[in-house]
Amino acid sequence: MSSEPLLRVENLKTQFFTEAGTVRAVDGISFEVREGEIVGLVGESGAGKSVASMSLLRLVEDPGEIVAGEITYKGETIFGLEEGPNGELRERDDVLSNEEIRTRIRGNEIAVIFQDPMESLNPVFTVGGQLREFIELNRGLGEDEAKAEAIDMLREVGIPDPEQRYEEYPHQFSGGMRQRVLIAMALACEPSLIIADEPTTALDVTVEGQILDLVDELQAKYGTSFIWVTHDLGVVAEICDRVNVMYLGEIVEQAAVDDLFYDTKHPYTDALLDSMPRPDRTVDDLEPIEGVMPEAIDPPSGCRFHPRCPHAREVCKRVHPEPKIVAGDGEPHRAACVKHDAFDVGYDESPPLEDRGPTPSGEDSADTDSESGLAPNPTADDGGERRE
Amino acid sequence: MKLLKYTIYRLLQAIPVLIGISVITFLLANLGPGDPVSLMLQGQEHTEAQVRAIEQRYGLDKPLHERYVTYMAGLLQGDFGRSIHYRRPVADLMLERIGPTLLLVLSAYAFALVTAIPLGIIAANKRNEPTDHVSRIVALFGVSTPSFWIGIVLILIFAVKLGWFPSSGLVYPWRSPDSVRGISSYPELYYETLRHLLLPMIALGTLQMATIMRVERTQMIESLQGEYVKLARAYGVPERTILRKHAFNVAQLPIITIVGLNLSTAIGGAVLVETVFNINGMGRLFVDAIAQNDYQLVMGITMMLGFLFVMGVIITDISYAYVDPRVTYGESD
Repeated sequence: MSSEPLLRVENLKTQFFTEAGTVRAVDGISFEVREGEIVGLVGESGAGKSVASMSLLRLVEDPGEIVAGEITYKGETIFGLEEGPNGELRERDDVLSNEEIRTRIRGNEIAVIFQDPMESLNPVFTVGGQLREFIELNRGLGEDEAKAEAIDMLREVGIPDPEQRYEEYPHQFSGGMRQRVLIAMALACEPSLIIADEPTTALDVTVEGQILDLVDELQAKYGTSFIWVTHDLGVVAEICDRVNVMYLGEIVEQAAVDDLFYDTKHPYTDALLDSMPRPDRTVDDLEPIEGVMPEAIDPPSGCRFHPRCPHAREVCKRVHPEPKIVAGDGEPHRAACVKHDAFDVGYDESPPLEDRGPTPSGEDSADTDSESGLAPNPTADDGGERRE
Repeated sequence: MKLLKYTIYRLLQAIPVLIGISVITFLLANLGPGDPVSLMLQGQEHTEAQVRAIEQRYGLDKPLHERYVTYMAGLLQGDFGRSIHYRRPVADLMLERIGPTLLLVLSAYAFALVTAIPLGIIAANKRNEPTDHVSRIVALFGVSTPSFWIGIVLILIFAVKLGWFPSSGLVYPWRSPDSVRGISSYPELYYETLRHLLLPMIALGTLQMATIMRVERTQMIESLQGEYVKLARAYGVPERTILRKHAFNVAQLPIITIVGLNLSTAIGGAVLVETVFNINGMGRLFVDAIAQNDYQLVMGITMMLGFLFVMGVIITDISYAYVDPRVTYGESD
């Protein structure tokens, strides 16, 4: 903990400038990844997990852009802004150039495993050829060495007959086998960090188990750090060391995996846990989260989860909580919920929300919010930068 | 090995198609208006006995199915019958005329591919930027303008007004230089061929170019958004390699189909372009044959064009199987 983390993300904001308005896909998240650990990035679809992870490689697709924050990796700056002489924000001099990011970071330092193994491999090239290309590129090996390495790696991830499979095309592989190929690809480039973006979501549960075991085993062997992006808390419990829970572009809870499960501090995490099917509960016992996640283009005021939160009080509409340490003796346990004493904004005195209908959704509450004419909200304006 | 088997299989499949074409062609030619015997007599005075004699000589007194069998037996030996108008074997006439047509169609395709693929890629890469809009307008113009009109305009501008290129005729590169007036060496001959070919090639190729360009653009856009492109980017593959290799190879598959299936429109267009540019190709031979009711010749050319088209489709299929590893060869494995 005292040593510098492998990756540090500070107040990262990534926005998409669409015709309908600015979508704040990632809105000020901070987290770090240390050497040799698996860090979870959890949340519903649309929470900004994938955008956040792609921001780390500066691979945000148009019309998206990283607009604020700092990303440092092994002491090098992947993204960082400074104030120019005229007060405008500009990229700092120590930020790696596009070319440096491409040649020095992507693949050889930070590799990615994507969600969809069926689509991620190019259908018209052999599996071996694709693997070899990335190894040549990222490790500077010659063709023959790269091929030998590729075959070794295919064997390592449990693909039988790697010499023969090397020559085959992606369509000749099953989904699980293709995901193994993608894992081989990531590991073969010998990166220090692998971003796994929902790598098991598209797979059968039995195959998912095998892949998780494989990753666990290989992670222990190579000591690679992982950022594991998922919506599945079951997977998180199985392999992660620390977890970041994301909701609508923000990290709402951040803790060591055991703390998160046994001492949950944010109502959203609670809700996620309650909506997870478990063998000891029937479907009737499941408590799905009410409503749907609002659009990141026009997030609810105050705490973004308040329209769906069972603990929401009037104060939650007004105060936007930044994550604060609320517990944890070794590993800090952060949560962004004003019900904790650390916030001290008068949650206990605040009246419960009464104006919510039987099925509150983000939109409904936002409407009633403006009608009830409560205290003007500094966080609800559309275009401008939010007050920190 | 599998590919060879598939090739043979596809070629065998062509046989029933060709038989079908021959039956329809034969029926249409024989049921159509006009009577070959009176055509041969060309209004001369004649007796009933003379007509009989001609009918007997050409086998026209026999029933239709017998005549069909006789015709097919001839075809298998390369005998397409004799042209009534030219009084020469149809096969000889077609052999003389197919060269210019193939030259025209192939060069039009070459022109279309060489221009359309880079333009389509540029349009896809610079999507919704000025270059893309220009390419869209060019494509719209290309698909909606008939080839003969483009031909006439090209003649007006580049042949009549500017005088850069000849307005008619074609110099055949397979002839010896001495046989063409004013030419003494092969380089000169090829240069002249090119000069003559340029305008008709553009006239015929513009439609193909426009079609291919639009498909190339769409395919490249789709391909560039593919997960495999995202993966390549995430692994530090340079953007131009992605464009030229990762996205490009996937995007070319439909182009093969377009080229193969548009062969019929290209040959149809060649008929008009040959007329405009006064080129003695199959197209003009065909038009003349229809006008003169030269039914042996019409049948021969129809069979030939049908054959070319079927071969085009088969070659498309086979090259598709060769290029796209996902194509199965019609057998369960």
